[in-house]
This record gives sequence, C-alpha cells and structure tokens, in this order.
Amino acid sequence: MNVPSEHLFFLSAGLFSLGVLGFLVRRNVIVTLMCVELMLNAANLAFLAASRMHSTPESLDVQGPVFSIFVITVAAAEAAVGLALVIALYRLKQSVETDSASEMKG
Amino acid sequence: MSELLFYAMCVIALLGGLGVIFSKSPMGSVLSLLGSFFALAVIYLLAGFHFMAAVQILVYAGAIMVLFLFVIMLLNLGALGTRFELSAAPLNSTRSRIAASVAAVVGLAGLIAVQSASLPRIAQGGAPERVDDINQIAIALFGRYSLPFQAVSVLLLTTMVAVLVLAKRRTRESGQ
Repeated sequence: MNVPSEHLFFLSAGLFSLGVLGFLVRRNVIVTLMCVELMLNAANLAFLAASRMHSTPESLDVQGPVFSIFVITVAAAEAAVGLALVIALYRLKQSVETDSASEMKG
Repeated sequence: MSELLFYAMCVIALLGGLGVIFSKSPMGSVLSLLGSFFALAVIYLLAGFHFMAAVQILVYAGAIMVLFLFVIMLLNLGALGTRFELSAAPLNSTRSRIAASVAAVVGLAGLIAVQSASLPRIAQGGAPERVDDINQIAIALFGRYSLPFQAVSVLLLTTMVAVLVLAKRRTRESGQ
C-alpha cells in the first residue's frame, strides 16, 4: 500500500475529534464510554502510524505496536470499570443519564 | 487497488464514529462502533500491522464490544421507543455548540500539527510490507518494557477486584 503515513494521522485526528464531540454531546453514560473507546482507538492509530513512518525494511520500529498493546489493555480495564459503574448508577438512580447524577454539582 | 480499499475503510471508520454519536438507541451506537473497529482492523492490515489487526478484532470487537452489549441488554436499554431514546442534547443548544467547537478545535489542531511537524522521511520509498514482527514485539515487551508489562498485569488484577466490588449487590447483613 503506497498511502503516505500522514493520511493515517489525518484519520486519527478525525476519529479523535468525533470521540470528543460524542463525549460532550451525549448524555447516555454507555455512549459516552463508547466515545472514550473511539478516542483510545484514534490514539492507537497514531502510535501505529508513527511506527510505520519510522520503520525501514532493515530495521522495524516496534515501539508503536508495544505501546498500542498497552493502550488496548488499559482500554479493556477502563471499559470493565466504567460499565460496572454504569450498573451501580442504574441501581441507584434507575437511569443511565449523566444528568441524573448531579449531587456534587454544588 | 489497496489504496482504494484504504480510503473506503477510512470513510467507513468515520461514518461509524458519526453513527455512534447520532444513533438514537444505544444498540445502534454499539453496532456503529463495531463497524468502525472492523474498518480500523482492515486499515491496520493494509498498513502492514498484521498482528495488531488480529488483536484489534480479538480484544476490541470480540471482548470489549461484547461487554458493552452485555450491559445494554442487562439494563434493557436496547429497545427503540423506550425513554432512553433521544438522550443526545438538541443540536441547537448551547451545550451542542460548545461541544462542536471543542471537537473542531481538537481536530484542526491535530491536522495542523501533522502538516507543520517535520516528520521523518525514512520510509520515502514506501513503508515495509510487514511492520510489526511478533518476535521483535515479544523481545521488546518482555525485555525493555518488562516493568510496564508487570504494572499492566497488576492493573488488570486490580480492575477485576474493583469490578467485583462495584457490581456486587450489597446485602442488608453487610450493613450497607
């Protein structure tokens, strides 16, 4: 594939800004968590694009894949804890809207 | 040919991201995100990351999305026509305008950073066909990055305990 690595960075920026938009617009906690996953995926894509940019057929750059493996692990942990918090919120409020939990608003 | 497939997958990934935001039911959001993840896996494959494409499908599309689907079905949020429909802010509200501005600034900052950065031109004659070599990844992961690797395993154990504590139904005998 002869696509320049910059185009991977452009896709990454697009996905990340979509994630930010969804995170700020949506009120459903589950959709908010999905937007966080989208942002983490964009970060992964940026790591891999940088790795591809620094690799030559003689010497491969493996730091990008290694870091994206760490990001995937942290994303899995974050999804598990986040969804457990969603279940706890639903038990408390019978709702998964972010506006329903506003005790600390002051 | 593969360039055409790459740009088609870019469009699908971005449309999936839009579908996550503008879908009316959480189930629609999950399916859009799944499509986006699969398109990203194809992009990884085309860019020479064969192992990362497999990890993307196994971990993201396989494990994390099943977790989301499980919670949505457990809380019965998937059906259309419930009160969970239309939980997005109206498009003309102040909140939506601020969110759109922030997202646009973030995206533009990314684009400008890529354009203006003096990126290395090592792979001028085209990147190698296969970028992630599993042997080299394993050597890096268990050699140079063995301390982060162990920290991540402790993180996963902590996560498991935390999820058990959070999701466990509290009984009256425990005094909570």
